[in-house]
Amino acid sequence: MMRVFWTIVAKELISFLRSWGLLAVVLYALTLDVYIAGAGMQIKPRNVAIGYVDHTGGGISRKILSRLHGPEFVPPQRFLSQKALSDAIFNKKILVGILFDEDFEKDYRQGNTAVMNVLLDATAASQSFTTLGYLQSIIMDFSKIDFPVTVKSHKLFNENADNHTFMALSEMLSVITMLSILLPAMVFVKEKEEGTWDIMLLMPIDAKLTILAKSFSQVIIIMVGTIICVGFVLFGSFDISMNGSFWAFVLLTFFYIFTTAGIGLFVAAVSKSILQVAQLSMIIMMPLIFLSGAWTPVYAMHPVLEKLSLISPLRYYIEGCESIFYRGTAFIDLWPYFAGVLVLGSLLYWYGFRKIGKLF
Amino acid sequence: MFDLELKNVTVHYKDIVAINNASLEAKHGEIIGFIGADGAGKSSLMHAIAGVGRFKGEIIYEGTDYHSPKEAERIKENIGLMPQGIGLVLYETLTVGEHLEFFAAIRNLKKNNDFFTYKNKLLQMAGLLHFVDREAGKLSGGMMQKLSLICTLLHRPKLLILDEPTTGVDPLSRMELWEILDDIRSSEGTIILVSTAYMQEAAKMDKILLFDEGEIIAGGSSPELIDSVRKYTYEEVSCDNDKVCFSFDKRSYALYPLAAKYAEPTLDALFFVNALQKKHTLPTMEIGERQSTVTIPKVVMEAKALTKQFGDFVANDHIDMQLQSAQIVGLLGANGAGKTTFIKMLLGLYPIDEGELYLLGKPILSGNDRRELKAQIGYVSQHFALYKEMTVRENLLYFARMHAIGTETALRRIEKYASALGYLQYMDALPGELPLGINQRFSITAALLHEPVILFLDEPTSGVDTIARAQFWQILEMLKVKWGISILITTHYMSEAEYCDRVVLLKEGVKVADEYVDELYRQHPHAKNFEEIFLEYYQ
Amino acid sequence: MRAGVIKAYILKELTELFRTRLIIMVYLMPSMILLLFGYGIRMEVTHARIVILDYDQSHYSQILTSKFEDSIYFDPTVMKIEESKALHLIKQAKADMILIIPSSFEKRLIHGQKTEIGLFVDAAFPTRATTMESYVQGVIFQASTEVGEGKLPKGMITLNSRNLFNQAMRDENAMVPGLIGLVLLVAPAILSALLIVKEKEKGTIFNFYASPIRKHEFIIAKLTPAFLLHSLNIFILFLWATYLFEVPFRGSFALYWFAGEIYILISLGIGMLISIITRSQIAAVVLTVIVTLLPGFLYSGIILPISAMDHESYIMAHLFPVMYYNHILYDTFLIGEGLDSPTNQLYLGILLLYAFILLMLGTLFLKKELR
Repeated sequence: MMRVFWTIVAKELISFLRSWGLLAVVLYALTLDVYIAGAGMQIKPRNVAIGYVDHTGGGISRKILSRLHGPEFVPPQRFLSQKALSDAIFNKKILVGILFDEDFEKDYRQGNTAVMNVLLDATAASQSFTTLGYLQSIIMDFSKIDFPVTVKSHKLFNENADNHTFMALSEMLSVITMLSILLPAMVFVKEKEEGTWDIMLLMPIDAKLTILAKSFSQVIIIMVGTIICVGFVLFGSFDISMNGSFWAFVLLTFFYIFTTAGIGLFVAAVSKSILQVAQLSMIIMMPLIFLSGAWTPVYAMHPVLEKLSLISPLRYYIEGCESIFYRGTAFIDLWPYFAGVLVLGSLLYWYGFRKIGKLF
Repeated sequence: MFDLELKNVTVHYKDIVAINNASLEAKHGEIIGFIGADGAGKSSLMHAIAGVGRFKGEIIYEGTDYHSPKEAERIKENIGLMPQGIGLVLYETLTVGEHLEFFAAIRNLKKNNDFFTYKNKLLQMAGLLHFVDREAGKLSGGMMQKLSLICTLLHRPKLLILDEPTTGVDPLSRMELWEILDDIRSSEGTIILVSTAYMQEAAKMDKILLFDEGEIIAGGSSPELIDSVRKYTYEEVSCDNDKVCFSFDKRSYALYPLAAKYAEPTLDALFFVNALQKKHTLPTMEIGERQSTVTIPKVVMEAKALTKQFGDFVANDHIDMQLQSAQIVGLLGANGAGKTTFIKMLLGLYPIDEGELYLLGKPILSGNDRRELKAQIGYVSQHFALYKEMTVRENLLYFARMHAIGTETALRRIEKYASALGYLQYMDALPGELPLGINQRFSITAALLHEPVILFLDEPTSGVDTIARAQFWQILEMLKVKWGISILITTHYMSEAEYCDRVVLLKEGVKVADEYVDELYRQHPHAKNFEEIFLEYYQ
Repeated sequence: MRAGVIKAYILKELTELFRTRLIIMVYLMPSMILLLFGYGIRMEVTHARIVILDYDQSHYSQILTSKFEDSIYFDPTVMKIEESKALHLIKQAKADMILIIPSSFEKRLIHGQKTEIGLFVDAAFPTRATTMESYVQGVIFQASTEVGEGKLPKGMITLNSRNLFNQAMRDENAMVPGLIGLVLLVAPAILSALLIVKEKEKGTIFNFYASPIRKHEFIIAKLTPAFLLHSLNIFILFLWATYLFEVPFRGSFALYWFAGEIYILISLGIGMLISIITRSQIAAVVLTVIVTLLPGFLYSGIILPISAMDHESYIMAHLFPVMYYNHILYDTFLIGEGLDSPTNQLYLGILLLYAFILLMLGTLFLKKELR
């Protein structure tokens, strides 16, 4: 029994390693793709382009402008009229425009409240909003207001609110989801496409053993890929912190891959070609990823979607992984995530297993 | 003056020369046959002539010369190409009628009365008149090929290039295809270039070109070619061990005089003689004795009134059959007659709707029975389906382990088969890199490793060249004698049916004949060969 | 150019698309991406779970707490637990923030002394952390100006900000038009890549190779069905955006429509080039997704304004068509300058040039021969 099991596993591993196209895609997805996602997307405003119109003749306005510097801002650009300023915003040359009118300096010197007009390109709502916050604090700082209440803020788990590691981690979890649906589906559908399906059925082996061994082989591939990704990309390139237990992550990932492999088995049962596998997986995968909280926390979603996300295994997996990587949650406190993944996982795998088992 | 002239045409694929310095001439109304092993360069030359592949050299068609696909555009109005592969140029979801509409439109044909008459004539000839609304994907292989052919003929090409149009097609459809071609040739004066693996077809052509390893090594009419090998063909004798000679199908071939009477050669002889002249070693196939001891009863497998239905369609209707030990049974029938369904039921791949199946006297009922059945049978499929990412050795080892054969025993057996069947040097190659004939031999090894009591072969010789086919039959013959194994084989080569002991004929899901081959000849005294017997059942 | 030949191919493609049910993908995928991204991605933060540890229990501290309760951004819970237990809540992902009001809060304020409020933010999701932090500071700032009214020092500067184009600062307005630009880049490209590669994989490409159909006829025949089918998506996506996501539409519909059609041509051109170099459908799909999806997302301006990109990304963004199209998109939805703006004119011209070059390259590289 075990010998046959390992023979099938070995066969699938050899086949995977020799199909270089597939191997390249998997490696790309787990290394370069994760790296690009982490390195390329920086949501925190940096290099914000600012323009200004100054009708005051300098002085205070200069001093304020000189405080707008890197890394958040590129040196402000001067415009001659309000029209030119709004045109520049419209043409996306700048994100923020500041307008100092004639009364600005006078008001300030006379001790009145001086008003600084700010124009924001709200088509990029989130960056604009954050930029406004920066400006606010710069001005408060400038006015040297002795404000009675100060906020001492600590950003837990990620001191600099560094976005790279977060994006990279999210992308890796999405990629794992994608691969663990696609690969197990493909090992079955490839047999259908290449005409070896009958040969497979003709082996005097219990169908359950075949299904189990084939999906297990793909779980191994994804586990190895995940560890490579964590080691080289997350630790190697982004220096991500691992506040929790590495083994908790490995274990959770292992269970999770079986969960999505169940979906893969279902996909394999209803598809005739690799192309159909790709199409169907995409339709299943996208809601899974978007309902998981990878991009928006679950509690901020529409109430209906929030309820729906309870049946997304990725939700438990992502929250679990964030807790392990960042929050350093103790093993015992991870039980909701393990429970979620295990319950949904056994249901999905059981369903997929039965569905493909009917073809044997 | 010739209507089509090829001057020193050479086709390269990167470093590989597919066809080297080929020249040929043809006149309107001529049918020219291309014969030769798989990979000999027939398709490459056809692609060059049709202007769909790059080549060096010159091709002149009716005074228009071209040297590249781009220049060939000028004559594409006159060309019809039907590439290799069943239904290759058809769109699965389009109906027969829509295909004709489409092909007429892309050839920019005028839809006048003349066109409709011609279209109906073609449909009539192809026997597709009643299937105009059927989707191409739901046609049988034979019908697909006929549809492809009439789609290619629709614009009345003057130069028709057909790449193995009859491979994998049943004798009846094949005959109908040839009737269409003969009719077109005489009414339209078309030059027809056609490649084929059936020597009986080649014999009917005006001129035959023999391809070997990228060269045209012989050309002429069928009688001329047969004459050229007459002096090497003898009645079957056992060959001397130290001298090169080859025996197959009641004849022996040798370049030196044999102590036997001369025999009348067929076109197949060309291949054997060519191989001998090139001093290609033709390894003698040797199958050893069975290693496990099993007593095989006379009746190995018995099917009683097996029936399979798909919806309203009855694929197999109460078929009885006995497979006996040391007997080769040929399962014949047109495309879509239910052969594959029947084999799949015997293999335990399809649940049986009605009827009973016995293996070695035991009924096959439960899933457990079926697993035991699977352990006792060997199966070689149409495409020699093996895992293309694993080497020959890995593939064989995998199959051995799946049948619970110990690694040491397995390796020993694999080694033995590899040297006996002459593919020892290919053990570490991937199946995709090997010729079809080699793949065929090692897929039969995969089916034999666990020493089954029955062997099922589903069109194992389609597309395999003559020599490889001859060697394959030698292996089967040896298995039968030495192992007492029972063999069930399907084939479209009617000449092969004659090597079987017994023949079962299916027609539209019903068994119409189940006889010993000699008995069939007795019942059909006028038949010259098996093809004619087959056609008598079908007409 | 022979209309009959082209018509026959188009008819055949449409029949096949319907019978193979690929048509479902043509209409399902774009809408699905728009809906999922539109609902799934929220840059703004609402209902942040803040735990307030009020160790002061004074009038002032209650004013502060009530400010949080009034805000739509926060779901505050006032607790009386130790700091370490509260931190544990964050570890269990049951809270996003902890705000600690020290015991002498009111006393110190009345005496004019400075006081410090502690804030712990879960930065596992960094962008949200930064946003939440600035919200909290805003609330505290607002509360203290109210409390300390009249006591403000002179010479104060206030910000008067105007949000151009999207006064309500709605995330939908900022996201959805950009997503249309992404969807219309990816979906038509996949379809056109499949249409040609499918024939190569199956073998039916011989019908093109061996017949006198000219290359441009073939390309027109292949791209027209994809073009027509996806043209409908321009309207469907528009309806989703304006009705479901309630994004305002201030510009000219004609411009939106025309730019959309050109953009689809570009996308089809990319797909066609990919189908020329690939041999199997699956390879074509994978390559198309890699070539279109990631750049489409990165350089669309959804994630990061083009002006804020570093040098290389800035150049890359200008090389991809998505930036130009998105500019026009945002204009038609949120701004409405239309063709009066020279930038829009220029960008429309660039899009036309793109479409032209891609289609030319396709005709150039497509070969009527086996490779």
